[in-house]
Amino acid sequence: MVRSLPFVTAFIALIVSTAPGLRAAETVWSGLVIAENVAQPESIPPELTRIERLLKELFGYNQFQVIGQSSKTLKTGQEDWLATSKFFGLRVDARGESEAGYVLNLKLYKEKELLLETDAKLSKRSPLVIKGPQVGSGQLLLVLVVQ
Amino acid sequence: MKTFEEKWTAWLDGQLTGNELIEFEASLPDKSAAKLEKRDAKKLGALLKRELGAHVIANEEFFSHQLRERIARENVEPFREQAAEVSTWWTIRRLFWTGTASLALFLVFAVFVMREKNPAEQSQYLSQILNARVDPVVSPNATVSMFEAKGDRVTVLWTEGLQSLPADYAAK
Repeated sequence: MVRSLPFVTAFIALIVSTAPGLRAAETVWSGLVIAENVAQPESIPPELTRIERLLKELFGYNQFQVIGQSSKTLKTGQEDWLATSKFFGLRVDARGESEAGYVLNLKLYKEKELLLETDAKLSKRSPLVIKGPQVGSGQLLLVLVVQ
Repeated sequence: MKTFEEKWTAWLDGQLTGNELIEFEASLPDKSAAKLEKRDAKKLGALLKRELGAHVIANEEFFSHQLRERIARENVEPFREQAAEVSTWWTIRRLFWTGTASLALFLVFAVFVMREKNPAEQSQYLSQILNARVDPVVSPNATVSMFEAKGDRVTVLWTEGLQSLPADYAAK
């Protein structure tokens, strides 16, 4: 029994390390965010807490407000969804899943006008931030995070 | 009731007496041959006693010491044999050395694999922008660039020159 213990442990470790297909379905949060500088900034939305420091340093704003969002649980990696605000729409079309993450086609609309289109590989450990157009004194940002 | 062989042995040794002796000698078929045999047996006995008699031990203490040592050795040996049977291949020492050797081997392989896979690994765990396009009619001067903030593991698509919009567009 004692003699076989190391082999049993090694076998279990091998099985665990070579079983990536047993992952649970994951959720992608997509947000339309308006970054602004205001006198009394509101606290950052929980979805952005993880990248708060980077957003502030990179864009130089002190407030980040979500004006539209969507959370989509991906099961096949082929889903599509829409995050909308009053004037903007972010259409996300998932085009497959890999070990590293999801291949996405993103389209930013202003009403019905396509402003920006991009193909991206969204890693499960790495959020994606897209700088959109200037809106008033602020900036529209698109943020995608695998939760 | 003694058998003939027992009586014969006792007669040779001179241990038969009285009626028993008379009866036995009377039962012998050839008394003279038997007496001759008895005499030869006595001679043989005397010879054996003379030649094979126990030697006098010159040093009693020496032999006593030798015996004690041998007894002690024989008492210890079974325990050693028993211990040898109980111990398995995975003694603590062997387990330790096997573990150390396995760990060293793993580290060597890990270093080689990490060295080879390092460039690919960065792109694997960071999001990537594969391509980006802006409408040249709506934003003719727009440019796009991309970079990775590796410390925060964030990938950024940076656009410049997109059409600016009034503050009303920030409405939810």
